[in-house]
Amino acid sequence: MLEVRLFATLREGREKVYFLEAEKYKVPADILDELKIPHEEVAITLINGRHSKLDTSLKDGDLVAIFPPVGGG
Amino acid sequence: MEERFIRQTVLPQVGTSGQEKIEKAVVTVIGAGGLGCPVLTYLVEAGVQQIRIIDCDVVGLSNLNRQFLHTTQDINKPKVQSAAEKLQQLNPQVRLELIDQRLTVENMAELIGAPDVVVDCLDSIAVRLLVGEYCLRYDIPLVEGGIKGFYGWVTTINRKTPCLACLGYHAEMEETEIPVLGTTAGVIGSLQANECLKLILGAGTPLTGRMLHYDGLSGSIDEIALQINPNCPVHSKLC
Repeated sequence: MLEVRLFATLREGREKVYFLEAEKYKVPADILDELKIPHEEVAITLINGRHSKLDTSLKDGDLVAIFPPVGGG
Repeated sequence: MEERFIRQTVLPQVGTSGQEKIEKAVVTVIGAGGLGCPVLTYLVEAGVQQIRIIDCDVVGLSNLNRQFLHTTQDINKPKVQSAAEKLQQLNPQVRLELIDQRLTVENMAELIGAPDVVVDCLDSIAVRLLVGEYCLRYDIPLVEGGIKGFYGWVTTINRKTPCLACLGYHAEMEETEIPVLGTTAGVIGSLQANECLKLILGAGTPLTGRMLHYDGLSGSIDEIALQINPNCPVHSKLC
């Protein structure tokens, strides 16, 4: 199972947290496609708190956090 | 003990010695806008007496939905000046150093100096990254916060914790005219001020190695643990 947590505007029209079958999602890009998140809206992807790319391999038990850019002051 | 601070000095985490720490602390606040207004207000009200404020902008009408240290009468006035006028009234003992210049790689050391804490209230990711590298290089604790719309985040950074570059922030993420509700800036700026005061006092648990995420639409706060990226361009160079 993968735990996927969406942050900021990526939550709008979606859930905050998804639990997804690990076998179906090999990389974070697969999750974005499943959740209909345009790749260009994603600024930061973390796997278990560490920076990852959209083609970084996922494994069962991973926590995937996905952020849009939030840098206003 | 001065009556002004009595409601906080009665706290076991503050007390007389903590108040002395607050009053002796030197803080640099970068940005006197949406985040900077609550950060500066709460630091001054808590009794921080030495604050350097860096901001090169002037007050504009579109700032006034959130930047409460500035008023309609302050339009076109330098933000550092406008903010300082109000902050001096909040606590006349505060010694403010006003820097009305744009931060660059070249002037960063001169402008930021060597404070006890830097609080980053910028709206530019590119400059945030420069500030982050500077603070890591000189081992200065850095309180970061960012806002957009109803959402915001706060994290505290030092050499042993992930920085924004670790997380994948890069200069090309720059956005302009970022939409934001004033209350979001108020919440996140207040949390940044709280982090800064915790660092000064040595109280509680700093937001190091974790990011607090505020969701004003659902009315919830989440936390996500962060890890240093072994390939981080800043950490791998400095630490």
